[in-house]
Amino acid sequence: MNNWLGFISLLLFSVLPFSCFAKEYKLILKDHLFYPAEIIVPANTKLKLLIENQDSTPEEFDSFDLNREKVLYPNRSSVIYIGPLSPGRYEFFGEFSPNTARGAVLVEGKTDADN
Amino acid sequence: MRFILAWCLTSLLFMASFNVRADGIVVDKVYHPYVLPFEREFEWRLISHQTDKGNILAQRIGLGGSFNDTMSLEGYAVGERDDDGNFGFSAYELELRWQLVEQGRLWADWGALFELEKQEGKDSYEATTGFLWEKEFGRTSLTMNAFLVYEWGGDIKNEWETEFRAQYRYRFRSEFQPALELYAGEDFFGIGPGFIGLHRFSAKRQLKWEAGFVTELSQQGKDHSFRLALEFEF
Repeated sequence: MNNWLGFISLLLFSVLPFSCFAKEYKLILKDHLFYPAEIIVPANTKLKLLIENQDSTPEEFDSFDLNREKVLYPNRSSVIYIGPLSPGRYEFFGEFSPNTARGAVLVEGKTDADN
Repeated sequence: MRFILAWCLTSLLFMASFNVRADGIVVDKVYHPYVLPFEREFEWRLISHQTDKGNILAQRIGLGGSFNDTMSLEGYAVGERDDDGNFGFSAYELELRWQLVEQGRLWADWGALFELEKQEGKDSYEATTGFLWEKEFGRTSLTMNAFLVYEWGGDIKNEWETEFRAQYRYRFRSEFQPALELYAGEDFFGIGPGFIGLHRFSAKRQLKWEAGFVTELSQQGKDHSFRLALEFEF
């Protein structure tokens, strides 16, 4: 019985919309450049990146550090949920314009070890 | 959204009510619940299953891609070498993957898989449905698959089966992500190391590789499986 309760609790927990607690940050992709190229965010916080692609071609947001891949359709806004993240620098780039479309998420705050 | 969650709940509860059981080779691929638009891929998989009785080698090639933001379709041709050393075309399969939620939006990510397989030259079919689940823990990711399988036809015993697969990987670097894999089916409970990697050649062109070596633990006797998968995305 306890196994079932644990199982169902885990299941219900895993479908909770944590996005409602996410702090929103806006980025613009224009002429294959991200603006701002770097954003500073707090540690251990759920984040919602709202990226508006103002170019006439699609782009693919790619980041191994953030473990995200997302197609950014032209002239549309796309949402990418990331975090909670530990302090550090997390780089991202546009897969179709990797030399120009580059940026980073700088996570600042206390680590668990500091607490 | 309510339908999706209800479907996930129903699937999980239904599968949990069975013992995990499946025959054939349980070791295969642990699916991730993500689909990228514009993605096309060519895939090759090899599974070598070694027991005291001999070796079974299975290979499959697949071609497919996404057809909208959240769904991808892939067709496979499967070849197997049996204990007698005969290798030949054995089955063909159609696979639909469905990303159910935006990555990172919920506490965990959900996807679904539907497969239909027909054995070549036999009245034997297999339909698979199940859920794909993934959760990030810092630089590690836990992925789990639970499948409900129904086999039917004149040349096969009609039966329900269940399979469970899990992979816990450390995202060390894109070319090398070590993992621990677990597979469970009827009379099979295997665990072993693996790794995943990716190399990007250019925009839209990349090669992914996966390998794993799984040892069966629930029984005595030799039972090892080696799996290798290459995916070229373009």
